[in-house]
Amino acid sequence: MIDKFLYLISEGFRSLWRAKLAGFATVTAIGISTSFIGFGALIGQDISDLLQLARSQYRLEVFFSPLITDNEANQLVQKIAQIPGVRKSTLVTKQEAAEIFEEEFGENIFELLDENPLPSSCIVKLVTNGYEPLDVQPIIRKIEKIEHVDEVRHQGRLVSTIEKYYQGFFIIMTGVAIVVLLGTVILISNTIRLSIYARRDLIDILKLVGATNQFIRFPFVIEGIVEGMFGAILASAFIYGFVRATNYFLNLFTHYNIHWDFQIVAIMICVITTFSTLGSHRAVRRFLT
Amino acid sequence: MIEFDNVSCTFVKGAGIVDASFNIDKGEFVCVIGPTGAGKTTLLRLIYMDVISEKGRVIVDKYDSSRIKRRQIPLLRRKVGMVFQEFNLLSDRNVFENVALPLRVIGVPKKEIKDRVNRVLDELEIDHRWNHLPSELSGGEQQIVSLARAVVKNPLVILADEPTGNLDPVASYKILTLLEKINENGTAILFATHSYNLVKDRGHRFMDVIDCKVRT
Repeated sequence: MIDKFLYLISEGFRSLWRAKLAGFATVTAIGISTSFIGFGALIGQDISDLLQLARSQYRLEVFFSPLITDNEANQLVQKIAQIPGVRKSTLVTKQEAAEIFEEEFGENIFELLDENPLPSSCIVKLVTNGYEPLDVQPIIRKIEKIEHVDEVRHQGRLVSTIEKYYQGFFIIMTGVAIVVLLGTVILISNTIRLSIYARRDLIDILKLVGATNQFIRFPFVIEGIVEGMFGAILASAFIYGFVRATNYFLNLFTHYNIHWDFQIVAIMICVITTFSTLGSHRAVRRFLT
Repeated sequence: MIEFDNVSCTFVKGAGIVDASFNIDKGEFVCVIGPTGAGKTTLLRLIYMDVISEKGRVIVDKYDSSRIKRRQIPLLRRKVGMVFQEFNLLSDRNVFENVALPLRVIGVPKKEIKDRVNRVLDELEIDHRWNHLPSELSGGEQQIVSLARAVVKNPLVILADEPTGNLDPVASYKILTLLEKINENGTAILFATHSYNLVKDRGHRFMDVIDCKVRT
């Protein structure tokens, strides 16, 4: 059984070697086209990491009426903490606000105005799992309804803009990936079809000597899988080159780097190999009956 | 071992077999004689179930053409060796690999393949050419390799469809004697030829195929 299996594997490689020119063209085409998916996935992963960071650091500043005492402000902070979606709320007293003012502007507000007009406030941090877009508006509306809340400040616009672009990028990349993977199936399928036509003599003889359909098909399937795998490995090499080149140019202007993520590349190789397997199965089912 | 029971198989373009009934026993040597286009090839194709009769049934060993499933046909063909006028050898493999092919299909272990192929090549006196490609062999030698490939799997019967059609008289005679040698070991032979002179006076059973009719 092992001998038979090894023989069929070697037949697959023999078939690949025999049609090496067509195989080379297929591997190159797969390598180039799928490298775009991989590169897109790496960029997407980097944007996603940035978004996660932005979401985890996202906070609201709630300013209270200057007329309330720190004690009353503390009660409001407790109330805000109970709103669903709020992870933590921290009181900034009038005194602390004055200290922050002095740190930022270098002037003591009591010396300037003889009183402290700064209101007490609180910093609100939100519950986020890092992966889902933030929806802050309902929380803001609830806080604004609380008595003695004067103003709620947030940086929601920037984050939501990045998220909107990221979603667009994600949709486009998914579309491109589907098209490229379907293209891979068709490409492999056509290459295997050519290989089948080129090996009609072998197929006829195998049928005469009692080979089952599985026995005849297996080497062609192996051929397709190997082509897909080589194509994916070539794509990985291209992606590595892209990453190095892009980082070189990015570093001329920024400190930002695109990160090489081996996990994404490994997933890409598995996915492309799976689709290549589908392509070879399609060919042998349609053209080897 | 082989039974034809009122078998008819015809084609739109002519030829075929009409209403054939006969038996072939284990170890028999049967010469199927008839002119080109009479239906000899169809007769053999019915046996290895490359075509299925529209009427009647063909029984080969335990396989019945009226009941056989598509997936069982490869199993039947493992019990039937075939030799054709065209040698049907793989041009990119040497003699050893061509002969070993049916054993690889069955899943025989590597060492046993080596032993069996070498033994058959030795018996058919072609062992000295084991590592040659078909293109480096004469027509007669190629047909011997084809015969070796048919016999290496120890079939119940060898179907030889005009195996001497492309050979000179000396090579033809050699193929015939090799087939007789194989037959002595108990393998039945169906030898289809239009050349009566080649097989006359050799003491074999004859079967005539003329105008799609089989006379035994």
